[in-house]
Amino acid sequence: MADDNISVIKIHDVLLVTVPPDPDDGSVNILQYKVLKGMERHRVKGLVLDISACQTVDSFFARVIAETAQMVVLMGGQTVIAGMQPSVAITATQLGLKIGNALTALTVEHALHKIGTTI
Amino acid sequence: MIECNHGTVVISDESDIIVARKTIREVSEKLGFSLTDVTRIVTAASELARNIFVYAGSGVMSWCILDTGNLVGIELTFEDHGPGIADLKQVMQEGYSTSKGLGLGLPGSRRLMDDMEIRSRVGEGTTVVVKKWRRG
Repeated sequence: MADDNISVIKIHDVLLVTVPPDPDDGSVNILQYKVLKGMERHRVKGLVLDISACQTVDSFFARVIAETAQMVVLMGGQTVIAGMQPSVAITATQLGLKIGNALTALTVEHALHKIGTTI
Repeated sequence: MIECNHGTVVISDESDIIVARKTIREVSEKLGFSLTDVTRIVTAASELARNIFVYAGSGVMSWCILDTGNLVGIELTFEDHGPGIADLKQVMQEGYSTSKGLGLGLPGSRRLMDDMEIRSRVGEGTTVVVKKWRRG
């Protein structure tokens, strides 16, 4: 379980997380913890989750992401999931995954625009 | 005659789910499945391997290449000696879960694959066999 597998970066008033191609359960749980700590520490508007490199999204990953999005909303922020690959979108839909309160965007740039950040 | 090129991955830890995923990605890419089908197969493998870890604690995933002469495919078998499933109809229902899960694992995996068979006896364990055939 690599603690530094996923890093949470603050850019202006947003947290940016880049999800690796094949995230394990431990890293996904750590991601949630780091995001909530980051929200508190940096007082940002929200979270952009870049999953453009992510090759597998299963029900565990989707559940933690949906939960995290809900927690970010409760803290007063927004979550945008950016860059889902077409093959992942097809698979996630057939599997029946839901992403809860999270918004989506084609790219990180669009996601930042959705949250209302200008860099 | 179905030719069987095969291998196994022991599932006894959370990290073995990733090993199962990587193994199945490699095998199905080598077999020439499309990127979308590789993603479907790997995702189903992830769901079913996690079921072993969550419900039985440990078990084995085995993979086998199917070649009928005009059709090529992959067969994955997930076997555990856990508590077993009392009501197979119920676990195939969307949203049914005895854990904290979403209840998508079995019905979702069946949609991602071409074929699914479940054998289970309470107190003895569960075996799930899924197949996917290569298109075109």
